[in-house]
Amino acid sequence: MGRRSWTILAAGGVVWALLSSDVVAAHPMSEENATFVQGLVGTAVGPFMYLGAKHMVTGYDHLLFLVGVIFFLYRLQDVVLYASLFTLGHSITLLAGVIGGVQANAHLVDAIIGLSVVYKGFENIWGFERVFGFRPSPKAAVLIFGLFHGLGLATKLQEFALSKDGLITNIVSFNVGVEMGQMLALAGVVVFLTYWRTRVSFFRHALATNTVLMAAGFVLAGYQLTGYVLDR
Amino acid sequence: MTPTAAPPPESNAPSLRTIAVATTVALVVALVLLVTVILPAEYGIDPIGTGRALGLSALADTGQGAISQADAELMTDAGKFVLGPFEWLEYKYRLEEGAGMLFAWQATDTVRYDFHGEPDAGPEYAESFESQDGSERRGTFTAPFSGIHGWYWQNRTTHEVTVTIKTAGFYTATHEFFDGGTSTRTLGVE
Repeated sequence: MGRRSWTILAAGGVVWALLSSDVVAAHPMSEENATFVQGLVGTAVGPFMYLGAKHMVTGYDHLLFLVGVIFFLYRLQDVVLYASLFTLGHSITLLAGVIGGVQANAHLVDAIIGLSVVYKGFENIWGFERVFGFRPSPKAAVLIFGLFHGLGLATKLQEFALSKDGLITNIVSFNVGVEMGQMLALAGVVVFLTYWRTRVSFFRHALATNTVLMAAGFVLAGYQLTGYVLDR
Repeated sequence: MTPTAAPPPESNAPSLRTIAVATTVALVVALVLLVTVILPAEYGIDPIGTGRALGLSALADTGQGAISQADAELMTDAGKFVLGPFEWLEYKYRLEEGAGMLFAWQATDTVRYDFHGEPDAGPEYAESFESQDGSERRGTFTAPFSGIHGWYWQNRTTHEVTVTIKTAGFYTATHEFFDGGTSTRTLGVE
């Protein structure tokens, strides 16, 4: 594929994702899944793991952020390091949030998650060095945004009347599922980026791709902030 | 996979101007998408009329689905049943598909219960909605199919348990099944 078609493909994909209202309608669980979770009493390791993995793999907000994070990571050990920091961050707030009953406003958390995508895109085009003269530690950024992503997961899980019976096991199962889903998604993104980096077009379009990433992040943030203002 | 090329040196970083342009483009694209397509479709906010032009405003009609019309008369019903040790009873309502019912029942001790429906189409077939032990339950039920819908309660203790139920809904008859008999009562229609 030529470099032009790559850009068109990437831009088209983002536009498609944003335009299909079904996808853009936040990122809740499907109705059937929600009914299942609410009717549940006791531990259900398998279902919760599946739901966690599904939430991650179908969660374009988390996926866009991960694309931004590993866009310029060339060594597998770096990918693992950054993914672990992200996992550490979101596991802390997911577990603490659900167990401690911490409930944030879903719109605000999702808006911050949208801005985390903008942040990574901006960082990837050397925005911080050029505009502010320094780049805040990318590792710290991933960890901190991980905390917000986990808060989003916790808030979404708590929208359902979760049974106290087997809660911890179920949340840990959900968390393990999230990590499995994340590894699956990461594998796909790494393969894609690794291949693309062997092409000249990667560098030529790094700027364009990260601009698209920023646009997607702004859309997510704007959509969620509007929802927050309207309270629905 | 072969190792990839080294990252571009920072000297290759875009200029301040390029970064400003890229960020502005991202923001403008996002705002245009939000204003023209996403806000009209999601929230019904349509400042420049693109939502109506593209037929997206219909998506934002969140009121749809919140109300479902009923054909039947609204009925209320209450019942009190005394179950001896290991006795069981079934109490059901005739509801057409999509008809709703509010219910609340409670028992003086834990009973085994099964909330299920028997469709008109399939004789001797019952679909269970909820089956477990408990002493009270309340909620809203919408019949997924036309048929009789209700509860089976079984007293698994060695003493008497009393079950009381209150309902309101668009049902037309009640059916009672117990060990050795059934009784049917048509409601409301003169």
